[in-house]
Amino acid sequence: MGLVALLLLAGAPAVLSPFLVQFLINLFMLAALAESWNIIGGFTGYASFGNVAFFGVGAYTTGVLLTVAELPFALALPAGGLLAMVFAALIGMPILRLKGHYFAIATLGVAETTREIVYNLKITGGGTGLSMPITRSPLPFFYLMLGILLAATLVNWWLSASRFGYGLIAIREDEDAAAAMGINSALYKTMAFALSGAFAGLVGGVFAYWITFIDPEGVFKVIITIQMIIMAVFGGMGTIVGPLLGALVLASVSEVLSTQLVSLAELFNGLIVILVVLFMPKGLVEVIRKREFSLRKLARNLREYRV
Amino acid sequence: MRRGAIWQRSLLAVVIGLGIMAAPALAADEIVLGSAISQTGKYAREGKFYVDAYTITVDVINKAGGVKVAGKPHKLVLKLYDDQSDPNLSVRLFTRLVTSDKVNFLLGPYSSGITIPASAVSEKYEIPMVQGGGASGKIFDRGYKYIFGTLPKAEFYFQAAIEAAAKMTPRVQTAALLYSNEAFDRSVAEGARQWLKDQKIDKVYDEEYQPATQDFTSVLAVLKSKGPDLVLLAGHEENSLNFIRQAQSADMAPKMMVFTVGPPTADFRKTLGKAAEYVYGITPWLPDMDVGGEIFKSARDFARQFQERFGYEADYHVASGAADVLVYKFAIEKAGSLDPKKVRDALAAVDVETLYGRVKFEATGQIAMGQVVVQIQDGKLVPVYAFGKMLGKPLYPAPKWNMRK
Amino acid sequence: MLALQVLINGILLGGLYGLMALGMSLIWGVMNIVNIAHGALIMLGAYVTFWLFTLWGWDPFISLPATIALLFVYGYCIQRFLLNLVVRAQLFLTLLITFGVEVVMVNLARIVWSSDLRPVTPTYACANCALGGVTVPYVRLWVFVTTVILSVAFLLILEKTRLGRAIRATSEELRAARLTGIPVAHIYAVTFGLGAALAGAAGGLWGMLFPITPIMGGGLTLKSFVVAVLGGLGTMMGSIVGGLVLGLAESFTATYLGPTYPNAISFGLLVLILIFRPTGLLGRRA
Repeated sequence: MGLVALLLLAGAPAVLSPFLVQFLINLFMLAALAESWNIIGGFTGYASFGNVAFFGVGAYTTGVLLTVAELPFALALPAGGLLAMVFAALIGMPILRLKGHYFAIATLGVAETTREIVYNLKITGGGTGLSMPITRSPLPFFYLMLGILLAATLVNWWLSASRFGYGLIAIREDEDAAAAMGINSALYKTMAFALSGAFAGLVGGVFAYWITFIDPEGVFKVIITIQMIIMAVFGGMGTIVGPLLGALVLASVSEVLSTQLVSLAELFNGLIVILVVLFMPKGLVEVIRKREFSLRKLARNLREYRV
Repeated sequence: MRRGAIWQRSLLAVVIGLGIMAAPALAADEIVLGSAISQTGKYAREGKFYVDAYTITVDVINKAGGVKVAGKPHKLVLKLYDDQSDPNLSVRLFTRLVTSDKVNFLLGPYSSGITIPASAVSEKYEIPMVQGGGASGKIFDRGYKYIFGTLPKAEFYFQAAIEAAAKMTPRVQTAALLYSNEAFDRSVAEGARQWLKDQKIDKVYDEEYQPATQDFTSVLAVLKSKGPDLVLLAGHEENSLNFIRQAQSADMAPKMMVFTVGPPTADFRKTLGKAAEYVYGITPWLPDMDVGGEIFKSARDFARQFQERFGYEADYHVASGAADVLVYKFAIEKAGSLDPKKVRDALAAVDVETLYGRVKFEATGQIAMGQVVVQIQDGKLVPVYAFGKMLGKPLYPAPKWNMRK
Repeated sequence: MLALQVLINGILLGGLYGLMALGMSLIWGVMNIVNIAHGALIMLGAYVTFWLFTLWGWDPFISLPATIALLFVYGYCIQRFLLNLVVRAQLFLTLLITFGVEVVMVNLARIVWSSDLRPVTPTYACANCALGGVTVPYVRLWVFVTTVILSVAFLLILEKTRLGRAIRATSEELRAARLTGIPVAHIYAVTFGLGAALAGAAGGLWGMLFPITPIMGGGLTLKSFVVAVLGGLGTMMGSIVGGLVLGLAESFTATYLGPTYPNAISFGLLVLILIFRPTGLLGRRA
């Protein structure tokens, strides 16, 4: 079934309107980001609120290499992903020692600080941003984003079935017990964070070239991290297809809203976040699997979490 | 239902829904001008000027018989989106305007920062974009053929003001330059440095600030200790407002203060009240300038119609936006066709007098227009310097705050 | 003298930062809820002050109690009817829901009140006095004084009243508090209401210094984080101290490094504190 969908998608650009192709590129991007967040947030249980930092680092690395160093995209993109991964690993080492809210705030702080640094550097163009050379066709971006999405999903799938993945889940469920069992939790956490950052960075690199213009405000926005998180949560954190599903539904709804009710779009996004947390914190995958479609079943979450 | 089936069905429904949504209905005998403009976000105030300007000009042109394409009258229609002051969203919306809504031509967004990426879209799809909201030279130095702009080059914004400063008595000796970390303001600052050098005015302060900065007290403390005669601020309206207020609180009154954005706008003067006195601004257009053309016989006539319809005074942003729509009328009628390439060529060759002044684009696509230095006197804009000459009498130097009435 | 002026500026603004963070620190410390909508509450307080001033001419200092009361009720309802429903969920879910609340509040404000900049300008808005080479704007001085008064009042409530004791008991030992008959749902709501009231007061005061717009809250939420963490979560004095530190840091970097650096410094400080001393300057070692 998955293969059928894949073949359909591969052939899609030929038949769909350019507008839908753009929409799908955006969808793949969000889904890939959600899947990448899932690695550190869903599997490892460390809810990072600053993953946009890696997206931005990837975008700027690729952007600077494309414009200033005039490297071909085939080199600039992997460099973006690589630098984002290294950055995630380096920043992860001290930050992953924190727990809960402290970790979340620290990651947020990292994202904000990174943005400020980019703002102040000369090489990034500061507040003026970077303009990429124009490309005529969206096709390479379509396949690139799809490819990254597939890779990220495959990694999630690998995590669900591998020793490394089980180690991460153990860390999520009970970190002390995991350590007692001999799992090097610092190493595992850092690797998960680095993986998460690598994918976010690759997505950022493709994004930079696709949108032809990046600026610090645009690629380090907090809302991007929130979108990643809410899609993963809505679909089902810690599952393989959850983030994908979440991205599909939420991105589509958002797209419809943004054309029909432009000024209300963001308002609805906020309401969706509230409703999802109240009624579907375990995600769509869980709801579908347990066939819990009645309001009564959804309200059960409230009883579980309330004061 | 199997989980996989649910997934496939929802995917299909979504795709179909979007497909239906994406197909627009294009009526015949219509020319659609599309734009994504800032209706919300940090540029919402200025964005509104353009929305209103486009709207009124389209309506008046239609009332006067529309646009004749090879003899056949066509109605102008606007299709506007809100870019929420976000350059990324702007790019996506312009792409949608071109690929999905299939508009005929594009009107520009507000701010150089957004126009730079948005014009890449018009260049990519080879559809002309005429914009009146972005002045940075960076928009026009990429060799693009499809972007045109009715705001004069940012780098020249402070030239007239600095020249005027050098001609004041007592002559301005020192200056401070403060600018926002954004495309337009950086361009203005780049130019300003050159003009200061030309006029042999000493630059004692030259700093960049974050556009979102609200608190200038530290900057003002430094400025107070350095005591420049002239303060030049390139930022947007909120920055100018905050700066002036806080200058009053900090008791800092240089002989001359010039702002790129703010003074020509009526709302700015109203909000500041007395504090706005003695402040200088820059504008390429004033409602009582002696310019005019087809559709709007004179600048004054345009200003009157605009005030009647929208209830506020038009400033140069508005006039610039109106000129953008007007110039399309002339170019399309000259080209006698709706073919983007032909209209593009007609735009490049246009040379016409309008309510905004003479519209003629240089080879880069940007208009060349002089700036008038104005001063706020008694709540009104008084032109004091333009085209190398002192007009009116500037109230100089500005008195200390506690000595003002 | 420049350095002295910079010092005074930093202290005056820092006091306001401290008041802003007080509300966030309270809610975080007692209920372990990180309120991303904090900035939106500040924004709401600012708008209440603005409308009371514009529609009925109430002087912003005089209308402060009204702002405080309104925000208290608002915050109480938010906690009682919304946040109480997810208090025991995973931490980051509460974070997420407050984010949703923030988006809804900001967008409603934008739709109802428009994005126009609103200044609150009583006649004394820009008056100042010069003391020994340093210019002190009156409004900033009075804002600082009000901040001190409100902070002291709040600390007294927390330490000396029954309500305060109930709040502290609930935060330290939830089960025991329940057993002694403390109505936890109500106490939580009161706590959030107090936090919102403080945020609202800070907003009203902020509105006297800077023009307000619906999106003003985002940056203020982040600043409040920095201050709350800097000072030490859950310690009220910590917020004041943290606020002063941040105010001074911003003032000095803006003057001697350049106006583009203060933000980088504050967030950098946040990250460093979290790495090296997460309990903050005044916090108890966990």
